[in-house]
Amino acid sequence: MSDEVKDPKDVLICRCEEVTLREIEQAIDEGFDTVNDVKRITRAGMGLCQGRSCSKVIARIIAQRTGKNIEELLQNSYRYPVRPEKFKIFDEEESHE
Amino acid sequence: MGMSTAYYLTLQGKRVLILEAGIFGAGASGACDDMILFQSKKPGINLELAFESLELYHALNVDLKHDLGFENYGGMVLIKDQKELEIMEEFVQQQRMYGLDVVMLDEKEMRKRQPHISSRFIASTYSPMDAQIDPFHVMYGFFHVAKNLGLEYRKKTPVVGIEKQGNGDFRITTQSGEVFEATQVVNAAGTWAGEIAAMVGENVPITPKRGQIIITEKIPMVGETNLWSAEYLVSKLRPEVKTEISEEHKALGLGFAFTRSFGGNYLIGSTREYAGFDTRTTMEGVNAIVKQAVSYIPLLKDIHFIRAIAGLRPSTPDGKMILGEHPDVPGFYTASGHEGDGISLAPITGKLLSDMMCGAPSDSRLEELSPVRFAVVKGEQVQ
Ligand SMILES: Cc1cc2nc3c(=O)[nH]c(=O)nc-3n(C[C@H](O)[C@H](O)[C@H](O)COP(=O)(O)OP(=O)(O)OC[C@H]3O[C@@H](n4cnc5c(N)ncnc54)[C@H](O)[C@@H]3O)c2cc1C
Repeated sequence: MSDEVKDPKDVLICRCEEVTLREIEQAIDEGFDTVNDVKRITRAGMGLCQGRSCSKVIARIIAQRTGKNIEELLQNSYRYPVRPEKFKIFDEEESHE
Repeated sequence: MGMSTAYYLTLQGKRVLILEAGIFGAGASGACDDMILFQSKKPGINLELAFESLELYHALNVDLKHDLGFENYGGMVLIKDQKELEIMEEFVQQQRMYGLDVVMLDEKEMRKRQPHISSRFIASTYSPMDAQIDPFHVMYGFFHVAKNLGLEYRKKTPVVGIEKQGNGDFRITTQSGEVFEATQVVNAAGTWAGEIAAMVGENVPITPKRGQIIITEKIPMVGETNLWSAEYLVSKLRPEVKTEISEEHKALGLGFAFTRSFGGNYLIGSTREYAGFDTRTTMEGVNAIVKQAVSYIPLLKDIHFIRAIAGLRPSTPDGKMILGEHPDVPGFYTASGHEGDGISLAPITGKLLSDMMCGAPSDSRLEELSPVRFAVVKGEQVQ
């Protein structure tokens, strides 16, 4: 596979889950017009970084395509854990008790 | 259940509107494991329908023209002592008589398939039938095809009132004051189905049972199959048998489930808690799941989990779903109460219900699922 992207729609918006601009636009056009909806349909933002890099980009694409307010789109509840946690950390906490 | 029912109804030419209170997959179907699990089911109607649902999933995998993430890793239930072994042997025997392909494995055979599990386990079951499917892709697949057949879908549109009119039709009012009319209404509100039924004066006793799970980063396969522990199953099958479950785990209803998801992340769970309609995860819950996971599969201590989620299983007093028309309110149907089996039973539920609604001859097996069993005689107090 060559690194060069031929069609701009093939550009990866979510690198962790390898979701392209085309897939995201398709979901928006079907009426999934919030960051959370897009995530559920395409898996964008469900990977290792949990949307820390792509959420804003997705919000911007939705705003451009639907005319929605970007600030509203970004009021997106972050879920626990905020960063990936090692299992071991929990175990060690316990053994100190 | 809503999406599945809508799909089968549009196939039969019905005009369907879905009113969804939240976003896509707002309920349990968007916060759960992905198993089409047979081994956990007691022989009876649930197991029978699960077989039929699996057949439908095979067909849907083609008909929906969408990758549903179907996998068939098989499953093993891990056994840690002689007591559990005896109970599981008997249970497996009953399931085999019911046509489930499941066997007992001795310690050596178990470790061949699962080399990384803790030394505490002495034996296991194995079924090649346990399979899985990605709930989001299933909902989306149903949605996509149904939409092309005319389905209308409204998100963020909670239903606040349903009224049966003189002509027999229903008037459905949403939170924003919009009104819709329909000849038939399906109550597929999962954990919240009791509230919808109450709008037409019916009793649908569903209690939310919260399940928390954690999701790991993508990792290579751990052993060949998905895993469960017998501990929780045994405590449900034989409540009288003394187990060494700690009080804390009992309160959380902790039962080990370890399944590989679409994409290579593992889902590890889960709890079964009565916490009202609270869908938050808790430190105690996540902590208990992580500790149990590391003690069962020690190599997990070095991997990361990227997320914790919680969903509400819609549970009924007798462990069976509520499916069918309410005789006192003709045209009003309920399809809810699948507790921990709603993913595996979604296709068959939607299919059976749409058949009922389109006037197919009634299926006598379904009588035991009818809402009639919880109907309150007029004038009596709802328990
Ligand atoms: C942790 C966990 C693990 C699980 N693992 C599995 C598994 O491995 N295999 C399996 O088969 N099952 C599993 N389940 C069970 C499964 O998730 C459920 O049985 C299933 O999702 C229930 O689907 P449902 O459509 O009935 O309810 P839901 O998916 O909850 O849908 C109900 C919908 O109704 C909407 N609603 C509520 N009130 C209103 C209103 N007033 N107006 C409009 N809409 C409304 C909600 O927003 C929601 O979207 C698990 C559940 C949990 C919590």
